[in-house]
Amino acid sequence: MSLLTIKDLSLKIGDAEILRDIDLSINGGEILGIIGESGSGKSMSALSIMQLLPSGSVTGGSIKLNGVELLDKSEEEMCSLRGRDIGMIFQEPMTALNPVKTIGDQVAETVLVHDNVSREEAMKIARSTLDRVELPADQFPLNRYPHELSGGQRQRVVIAMAIALQPNLLIADEPTTALDVTTQAQILSLLQKLVDEDGMGLILITHDLAVVADLADHIAIMQNGVVVEAGETLSVFREMKHEYTRTLFAASNHVPKRDERRHVSKDEVILSVEDVVRDYPVKRTSLFKKPGVFRAVDNVSFSIGRGENLGLVGERGCGKSTLSRAILALDKMQAGVVHLDGEIISAGEGASRAARRKMQVVFQDPYGSFNPRHRVDKLVSEPFYLLDAPPKGAERRLLVERALENVGMLASDADKYIHEFSGGQRQRIAIARALIIEPPLIILDEAVSALDVSIRAQILDLLAELSDRLGISYLFISHDLSVVRAITDRVLVMKDGVIVEVGKSEDVFRNPQHPYTKQLIAAAPDIEQALAAREKRIN
Amino acid sequence: MLVFILKRSISLLLTLIAASFVIFFVIEVVPGDPASFMMGFEASPEAVEALREQLGLNAPLWERYLSWIVGLLQGDFGTSYTYKVPISDLIADRIWVSLPLAAFALTLSILIAFPVGVLAAAKRNSATDVSIMGATQLGIAIPNFWFAMILVLIFAIQNRWFSAGGFPGWDEGFWVGVKGLTLPAISLALPQASILARVMRSSLLDTLDEDYVRTARAKGLSRRQALWRHALRNAMIPVLTIIGLQFSFLMAGSVIIERVFFLPGIGSLVFLGITQRDLIVVKSVVMLLVFAVIVVTFLVDVAYAFVDPRLRKGR
Repeated sequence: MSLLTIKDLSLKIGDAEILRDIDLSINGGEILGIIGESGSGKSMSALSIMQLLPSGSVTGGSIKLNGVELLDKSEEEMCSLRGRDIGMIFQEPMTALNPVKTIGDQVAETVLVHDNVSREEAMKIARSTLDRVELPADQFPLNRYPHELSGGQRQRVVIAMAIALQPNLLIADEPTTALDVTTQAQILSLLQKLVDEDGMGLILITHDLAVVADLADHIAIMQNGVVVEAGETLSVFREMKHEYTRTLFAASNHVPKRDERRHVSKDEVILSVEDVVRDYPVKRTSLFKKPGVFRAVDNVSFSIGRGENLGLVGERGCGKSTLSRAILALDKMQAGVVHLDGEIISAGEGASRAARRKMQVVFQDPYGSFNPRHRVDKLVSEPFYLLDAPPKGAERRLLVERALENVGMLASDADKYIHEFSGGQRQRIAIARALIIEPPLIILDEAVSALDVSIRAQILDLLAELSDRLGISYLFISHDLSVVRAITDRVLVMKDGVIVEVGKSEDVFRNPQHPYTKQLIAAAPDIEQALAAREKRIN
Repeated sequence: MLVFILKRSISLLLTLIAASFVIFFVIEVVPGDPASFMMGFEASPEAVEALREQLGLNAPLWERYLSWIVGLLQGDFGTSYTYKVPISDLIADRIWVSLPLAAFALTLSILIAFPVGVLAAAKRNSATDVSIMGATQLGIAIPNFWFAMILVLIFAIQNRWFSAGGFPGWDEGFWVGVKGLTLPAISLALPQASILARVMRSSLLDTLDEDYVRTARAKGLSRRQALWRHALRNAMIPVLTIIGLQFSFLMAGSVIIERVFFLPGIGSLVFLGITQRDLIVVKSVVMLLVFAVIVVTFLVDVAYAFVDPRLRKGR
């Protein structure tokens, strides 16, 4: 008998049908990967198992854990089940822990809620559980608070809370999406270890095919509230019976086609960054002491040719966004100079209007980057303020419509508000806004990181096409190595404010020189490698 | 935690010094010569000049500032121009009305607001929630003196349980004093409680939506347990801020209620001081109120740190 069997599960919230005919099962000691894009219902399936659905939800069908029907349980019975028989961990480790309670208290709480034990006893279990998730007592005493830990360490605490009572089933909803690649690799191997040791079943929900290809025994692919394909991992990936599986697979490895006539100029430098230094004042501790400084960007130099797509990769806190803000003159540099197509931005000074109109930026968050009270027309035409003679009336409207059409939107979209668009459409509008004054340089700061893989593939195609056709240079900043590899000509690898490696993208990814680059590339999950390793194991 | 408190105390002291400067010099700039005001309009210039000399108004600015500060530190607030009695006596009489009244009203406000706010948040969008929100809206909209009049009408005139005004003094016994302050405290507390309950509710609703509350539910805590153990303490920061502001307001802002109930409070003292150009009274009382506000702010800061470990790091 399976550990968990889901049959004909359906879910409605109000009038909206969220899930339909879901059939899934998982055995103890197994990992089931559930893959899907946002809105596919993968998280809602997990919350249905936990019965932690939003109010107004109506479920149908059957969810049996060890043969016991969960959908018949009362809320009180579910409370005694959650945390004891089913544990769950979530995506955002930074906010998943209560900031005002110690990690010891929070792990011990799982025990105290379920078992009639003393506080000392619970604390002892908390200690040994934290040891199991590799947070040793000498560095991580029980009285630590969450804000004293890094994201990866916090995720370990969340895992400790979920496994303290050794549940039969652990549900992990995007457990590593918010983490850096090296941290992701560590957390995934920890989960694998716990599954092997405790024989529990693990449901791993993710949007990242490479992660499940490596870890999961079985996978289920979801789209629009339905499981479109499910089965043993290797056969699903090798056969790809359903069209959506093929789309998903193609999108996650997507490399945009470049125009053969594309010209990347080595001699005509658009952006040249020389010895840029960016210091942050550390938080003031006294009214009279001068606050210390933290050097986020340390003597960085590089250049971008006309039409060139340069990548900048590095993990969280390496200084890549700080560097981009310095180039954009959003923050003043402490030393160094930036030459931008004939304009100069010096240390300690802001950029002139002439310099500002030579560059535009697209940020990560397609939802937060727009003023919700303006129409798209006004949003897209905003950079016109940088021109000495901004176009007016019909001419302005025409340019807005052309910019929208350039990014694959309709001219009539100019009259809509931003909330009427999806995340991918919003990112297109952000690109239209950057394009409208035809700057020679666009900085893309994690511009595709928040998008689903299929949307991401479309946006990458669009970016490649625009660069080829209009000769625009990109500084493409991302933590995602595969994306950077797909779109850039050259790449910079940054660590602790310093560029540690520069080279042609293919060369760097194929044959990394610096130990840090090697470490990054090794930690990044890779579908083909994972599947090959899987085949080897079988044979 | 100790370092934190020490550092906060130093900044408290600096704030007080800065405040004393501002108060002193602003009062200096205010038009109207206390001496000529005291002598009346028919007084001869010589007599006014003599009085100015006597009051020490002719000394250089910084000298007067220093003597004022030194006096304050020794508990000598100077002598009222109009009452001709030491200001410390004036304040001492009134502070024992205003301070207990403020504390009483604030306690009531908290006692009403906490359960009501938590209940509304726990039963979000239910009939209970909607009625509570409606009632608090009314509580904010209706001015406190109107409440005061209604209370007097019901409990003092019709039922005669409380006196309609005046304060018997604490010499008559603790409960007599409390009884004398009850109606004014309730009328002060009702609007304050309404505001506080709404803040409590919205702050709690925010924290109930936080990821860690979901995590707590995944551990097996019931909705109620998650609220009490995880959401409530995190919801306290905005609530503490409002409590701090309310206390400051209640100390000096109760002048209307003091008038309605004929209470000899600090608010009335300042009011008289201003209308009678008794600037030394104004200056001293304002300084005292500033002191009270800064101390309360300090206490609120310490309470923040007590609630939230992230604020403890001596910053």
